[in-house]
Amino acid sequence: MTRSMSRQKSRHFSRRSVLGLLGAGIAGTALAGLPRRAAAAGGQLNIYSWPDYFSTDDLAAYTAKSGVTPAITTYNANEILFAKLNSPAGAGFDIVVPSSGWISQLAGKNLLQPLDHSRIDFGALDPSLLNRDYDPGNKYSIPKDWGVLGVVYDPDAVGGEIKTWQDFFDAGAKPGASGKIRLTKAPSETVGPALWISGKDWNKATVADIQGTRDFLTGFAKHVKTFSSFDPQALASGAIVLAQANQAAARGALLQNPKLKWVVPGPKSEIWVDSYAIPSSAQNLDQAYDFLNFFLSADIQVKETEYLGYPAAIAGLKGKLSADTKLPDMIFGGSGVDFNALTSYIVNPDTVAAYQDVQNAVQAAAGG
Amino acid sequence: MRGVTPTARTSAHQRIAVPTSDALLAGIPAAWLFVFFVAPLAFTVFFSFGHSTFGGIAPGFTFDNYRAALSGFYAQSFLRTLRFAFAGSALCLLAAFPTAYFIARHAGRWRAAALALVLVPYFTSFLIRVMSWQILLARGSAVEMLLNFLCLHSGPLDVLDTQTAVFIGIVYAYLPIAIVPLYVVLARIPPTLVEASRDLGASPWQTFLFLMLPLARPGVATAALLTAVPMLGELVVPTLLGGDKGVLIGRAISSQYIESQNYALGSAMAVLVMIAVGVVVALLARLTRGFMEVAP
Amino acid sequence: MSRTRLAFPQPAGIGFGAWYLLAVAFLFAPIATSVIYSFNVGSLGKQTSLFTGWTLHWYAMAWRDLTLRRAVETSVVASFWSALLATLLGSALGFTMVRHPVRRVRLLLSGLTYLLLIVPETVTGVSLLLFYAVTRVPLSLATLIAGITPLAIAVTALIVRAGVLTLDRRYEEASADLGANRWQTLRFVILPHLAPAVGAGALMAYVFSFDNLVVSTFLTTPRVNTLPVYLFGSLQYGPAPTVYAAAAAIMFFTLALIGLAALLYRLAARRDLQARYQ
Repeated sequence: MTRSMSRQKSRHFSRRSVLGLLGAGIAGTALAGLPRRAAAAGGQLNIYSWPDYFSTDDLAAYTAKSGVTPAITTYNANEILFAKLNSPAGAGFDIVVPSSGWISQLAGKNLLQPLDHSRIDFGALDPSLLNRDYDPGNKYSIPKDWGVLGVVYDPDAVGGEIKTWQDFFDAGAKPGASGKIRLTKAPSETVGPALWISGKDWNKATVADIQGTRDFLTGFAKHVKTFSSFDPQALASGAIVLAQANQAAARGALLQNPKLKWVVPGPKSEIWVDSYAIPSSAQNLDQAYDFLNFFLSADIQVKETEYLGYPAAIAGLKGKLSADTKLPDMIFGGSGVDFNALTSYIVNPDTVAAYQDVQNAVQAAAGG
Repeated sequence: MRGVTPTARTSAHQRIAVPTSDALLAGIPAAWLFVFFVAPLAFTVFFSFGHSTFGGIAPGFTFDNYRAALSGFYAQSFLRTLRFAFAGSALCLLAAFPTAYFIARHAGRWRAAALALVLVPYFTSFLIRVMSWQILLARGSAVEMLLNFLCLHSGPLDVLDTQTAVFIGIVYAYLPIAIVPLYVVLARIPPTLVEASRDLGASPWQTFLFLMLPLARPGVATAALLTAVPMLGELVVPTLLGGDKGVLIGRAISSQYIESQNYALGSAMAVLVMIAVGVVVALLARLTRGFMEVAP
Repeated sequence: MSRTRLAFPQPAGIGFGAWYLLAVAFLFAPIATSVIYSFNVGSLGKQTSLFTGWTLHWYAMAWRDLTLRRAVETSVVASFWSALLATLLGSALGFTMVRHPVRRVRLLLSGLTYLLLIVPETVTGVSLLLFYAVTRVPLSLATLIAGITPLAIAVTALIVRAGVLTLDRRYEEASADLGANRWQTLRFVILPHLAPAVGAGALMAYVFSFDNLVVSTFLTTPRVNTLPVYLFGSLQYGPAPTVYAAAAAIMFFTLALIGLAALLYRLAARRDLQARYQ
């Protein structure tokens, strides 16, 4: 053993040296990958948002103009955003992008700071999207983009038109549609329609009201095939014939299968507004307002709309989209949407658990 | 003769000389795990007795959370998950055993390459692979065309968002984890034993059933443990491939923590699940003598 | 003579071989799909299940998307460190779970390892978040790595344990009889026998750490994000083929590295063999 060991030691290219080289190489790369301390020229900006929620081109344009490269970290649910900001570990974000429903909760726990309106240009934004019930006076948030809850369906399979949520539930029970339905997995969007049918307001509903929808919804659940994220392909191929969706997702389905129809059912439906907000513990306020002003400028908002498929909040957006945009009406929820019949969900700690319980029951009861 | 090294069967009354190497090898990992795993977990147990505030805990002492956790819906959820994990694990082992057997005993010189080939897929992100299964199992996909071509199935493929798709995804996800311990154990069976068995007149099946299978038992037990137990907490595959139906216990606990922001109830459910699974694993360990077999 | 080394005669060997190939095809089908679909044009900038056309656009996009790139870098670095720690700690744990002289200690270590498997990840994630909040430790790459190692340690420990159980105790006793102390026995007798198990454990630890989703979700910070967290979030509004391109690129890069390392290792081993017999 000793003879070959000494032979190994004197050899340059041996197994030992290869392993050593490999280890050093990997370690070197790993150390090089550790976060750098040096800040960029213009400073830092930390954003917490959904993945792929800003166009790469626009971000590059922003970096070129300001010298700041935003560091974007991502979450996959508003609740995660809430949990992070609610814990001391959530310090360090300069801009967050909560959904409208969570703004009052975050603000109520002093996790967001009031926006300095003198530093932002609100003039270009659509007034009907400002000063809404979820954030009066836009004290804490600025709209980034918005969506409506509607239904996309195959009229032949469903056997008629759908105009109200009652139509939706009735259509789902028919043999042509049963077993081919998609519901969303957001509890408010499942329970909401049931509440609206009986004339109730989802922000004023009591726990008893919410639990009252349970039997109806679990009865309907046996017709439901999936609660997964919306897949335009499934609708195009006929695997799903009736689905709750927001308008941008439905637009994808309509593009692939022109036979499909879209409707925002009455008597009420949802409008949600993903908004920019600044956490209380934000450090880089100058960069944050600079970023917001850049992304709220007219031409950037148009570009963002074309990239995301979701409409930004700028006034007169419809007229500003490029001529070759496909199905431009769908970006805005289709023609003939009554914005007065749209309401935003506001998270209420007293009812959240009740909503989630009904949702769990519905998902558990869903058909195989 | 068993002489110098202290054996495991020394009685508790005698002072055992523990070599420093063993003490360190046991102590360091245990210390690390204690700080980064057990201590945080203690928080969970502590919280399970508290009152939930939205996204926080008010310390207190109450059994309300446990009462809610033991309610009908969650108990059903747990039973459903047990059935699911048992079936998934069994399927996984059935698929893994012949594969591991081939690599261990029939691949010869190519053994390392054969094992590597099975592990290569795992260098792609798991989520991408599950998302690719969504593409593969969708209507109009290549799989549908293949199955129609082979006359195994006619018409459109409607597997996505069903229990079948979930099992496909689960077996897919846990296959290498099942293959590796089986391979490790099957590879170490000395060829001389097999030769001796054949020489003594045993048929191939007899050699397999009475020699190799018993020797492979630690591997089978490990593979079963490594597949069944994590399956109990599986979140991703049922969500992406199963249409997010049939709430399994992992999803139920997660929804308490995340969607309902009810840390107290989530903690109580977690503690109950841990106790239940712990009991089952301990019983199994008893049955198979600590998942151990004395080495030949 | 060589025929009897196999339990089953050749035809059965072919049957097993066919099963193996089927398993490999099953394992590679989604990989091939993800690579092919990374070239898919998609629709409205999102991925589609029907192939709509070929393009290299997404690879360029993946490179320019700094958020995605950062997430990938962090994932790779964190997984490397986690795998390293898990291999060292997990192998030690796996070994002592079987070989520690005191039975109570062995039971404790086994219990700890099984506990690691039993606890749902959401529970670990939330409890870690709260733990760091209470102890006022700021979240960072280090806390992320510390958070994902426990599960990797469990996996490595159990794989190494399976290997240790097939180890013949008489080798260790013979080594001790011949005058070696415990460290020498470990290094020259036990470790070479355990090398395949440790190697397999290391690979599994890397893979588990890279794919960790739930615990990572709770431990991300403004500058620390991982690929699985990014991917899972992209499901809300639909993933673009960009992420498929990124995943394909990582895979080829990793495999090329491993292939190169294996090749070098083989060449070096051949040289060693030549040296030994000259």
